[in-house]
Amino acid sequence: MATTATISIQNDVTDTIFTVSNVATLTKRGNEESLDTVISATKTFTATSAVNLIAVAGFTATAANKVYVANTGDSVSEYFTIGIESEEIGRLYGGDWMFIPWDANTDDNITITPSVATAMTAEYMVFS
Amino acid sequence: MATAEITLDSDIQSDTLALVKSSILNKGGTQALLDQTTGLNKIIFTATTNVILLDSSAAGVGKAAKVYIANKSTDSSEYVTITINAQIIGRLYAGDWMFIPWSQSDAAGNIELAPSVATALPVEYMTIHEGLTPVSA
Repeated sequence: MATTATISIQNDVTDTIFTVSNVATLTKRGNEESLDTVISATKTFTATSAVNLIAVAGFTATAANKVYVANTGDSVSEYFTIGIESEEIGRLYGGDWMFIPWDANTDDNITITPSVATAMTAEYMVFS
Repeated sequence: MATAEITLDSDIQSDTLALVKSSILNKGGTQALLDQTTGLNKIIFTATTNVILLDSSAAGVGKAAKVYIANKSTDSSEYVTITINAQIIGRLYAGDWMFIPWSQSDAAGNIELAPSVATALPVEYMTIHEGLTPVSA
């Protein structure tokens, strides 16, 4: 059983074009045992209130959990603000995604706030 | 044009997962492309002190910067703890990487890093962004 996460960043911002690639095999904290649980979901939001996208309940704290979140929309102006507890991480505009390690300590819920109330959809996965 | 693509392959479930998601890295609220970058940096940390890896910048507040960080250690017990404004995001163990939007919500929204060991822990990182405020000489 194994899960791998591969990233490829193509960068031509500079005159010298470069690519950054990396493959991570997702393992439990401090050893080489594979993460063995996955939760996958899609949610559509129709209000701009901040809500918990992923609550810490049920997850092991200070673990090597990994979280993927994507804004499935294609609007360049509509975005989700993603946070942990009360701290804002960043904004996922239409088509954007993020992949983070997640500590899942007390109150470290992952929060989501849509910028508009007109049916924005996010998909997410938690590997733990 | 800068793009970022993630591929997730997993056989945790009986139906194997093969997800590919690619995004064009635009500025916030527009189709204009992100046009500045720090390039790829590498630092070998030799102390466990919590340090500022990326300093929140007035020019970047509320914008659509993207940040990539990777722990290049090969010892599975070694990790770096990533925080934003004292809020722990998580631990990157050896070989792990992360990719996030970074809106630099305020001047305190620095991305900080604390290595778990003081024995030469290598980290690579990069930001593609809309602007950084230069530090005055």
